[in-house]
Amino acid sequence: MAALMFPATPPVTLAVAGSDARIPVHRVYCAGQNYVAHAREMGGDPDKQELFFFDKPADSVVPVPNGGCAVPYPIGTEALSQEIELVLVIGKEGENIAEAQALDHIFGYAAAIDLTRRDIQSRLKKMSLAYDMAKAFDNCAPVAEIQPAARIGHPSRGRIWIAVNGKILQDSDISDLIYSVPRIVAKLSSYVRLRPGDVVYTGTPSGIGVIKRGDVLEGGVDGVGTIKITIS
Amino acid sequence: MPDYVIAPPPQAAVAVAGTDALFPVRRVYCVGRNYAEHAREMGADPTREDPFFFSKPADALVACAPGQNGVSPYPPGSKSVHHEMELVVAIGKGGADIPAERALEHVFGYAPGLDLTRRDLQGEAKKKGQPWEMGKGFDKSAPIGRIVPAAEIGHPAKGTISLKVNGETRQKSDLSQMIWNVPETIAFLSRLVALAPGDLIFTGTPEGVAAVVKGDRLEGHIDGVGDLQVTIG
Repeated sequence: MAALMFPATPPVTLAVAGSDARIPVHRVYCAGQNYVAHAREMGGDPDKQELFFFDKPADSVVPVPNGGCAVPYPIGTEALSQEIELVLVIGKEGENIAEAQALDHIFGYAAAIDLTRRDIQSRLKKMSLAYDMAKAFDNCAPVAEIQPAARIGHPSRGRIWIAVNGKILQDSDISDLIYSVPRIVAKLSSYVRLRPGDVVYTGTPSGIGVIKRGDVLEGGVDGVGTIKITIS
Repeated sequence: MPDYVIAPPPQAAVAVAGTDALFPVRRVYCVGRNYAEHAREMGADPTREDPFFFSKPADALVACAPGQNGVSPYPPGSKSVHHEMELVVAIGKGGADIPAERALEHVFGYAPGLDLTRRDLQGEAKKKGQPWEMGKGFDKSAPIGRIVPAAEIGHPAKGTISLKVNGETRQKSDLSQMIWNVPETIAFLSRLVALAPGDLIFTGTPEGVAAVVKGDRLEGHIDGVGDLQVTIG
């Protein structure tokens, strides 16, 4: 590698449960409107639409330790929103991956939050414009430690929930995903080559709220893990 | 050095004129509809509505300065890949909420760049009010030439920007036709995200966007900035 003009931003790394090893994040993809009730609350039509995706910058991932951490309230918004999600981490490269082989490409899973600047999203969606600025900003992707599939298997059911200041806002089950994990991997890999270290958010259930500074968010996916952050 | 389960991804970096050292890339931002005639050809009314932005993955860049033999493979999932020739700004100094009158102090240099777009996927997304990433942020979707330091060339505010496909001119305009100039773009973007050294901003494309096919040879030029050459593989 040639010399660099200045030091590069080092890759964000995620902890792997039960070991000292870490996973460097390559890219972050997110499935949109993948629970029926959430698709409806966002104005989508879950019966008709195909799964769609958006991205977050790899360095917007906040590795959340067990016990939690602070996440700063972002600039540019007055309506920050939380979305609890199951994420998967790719361990094996592939493109046009068949559903039947999809699980072979997954290293592990974690509980994660997709922070969204909802006001920016509503404004841009109304104009049919790209809404990256609603989804892709600094520290917008808190992710808990990764549970290797070798340890926990491939979860297809289990409660997914999040409480804000102790009050449950989202409460569903990952068996309610419209596109299952294998279908998400198959579909996404028809658009982009997946690589080790890619983090894929699988969608959020209904019940998104507006959060503010000082709020404590605590959620999880049963069988995978929990995540706790404080908005600072 | 942490114990990695998998190898960390290679660092994206762009060649810089006059040095062997590379410019390490952190994020790639793009401005949408920043030339009036292009806004019109995309079916929009080029009013001075606030600019909007989208992103590409940093490792979607392809080194395409003359002599680098840049190749961008025709991507999967699309039957309509379009070329969009753009001036690229390389950020050298970070900051949030940067006022337009101080914005140029944050610019390290400029490069010619191409925003390759899966127009069919983008069109579908637009129709449904859905995100554009799969239309814009695919592998090798961002061919880029050499960065020329502003210390050498200043800050180009006018000059021809053009693109030839197989020798035939497809896009030709002038940097002065941008709806939002570079300082204004930096000011707007830095209100939404803190900029950091290593960020690139694709500043929008002029009219004349059209489909490419495998084997096409694309040559871009920006007066005072440089050239890029890429083959669709």
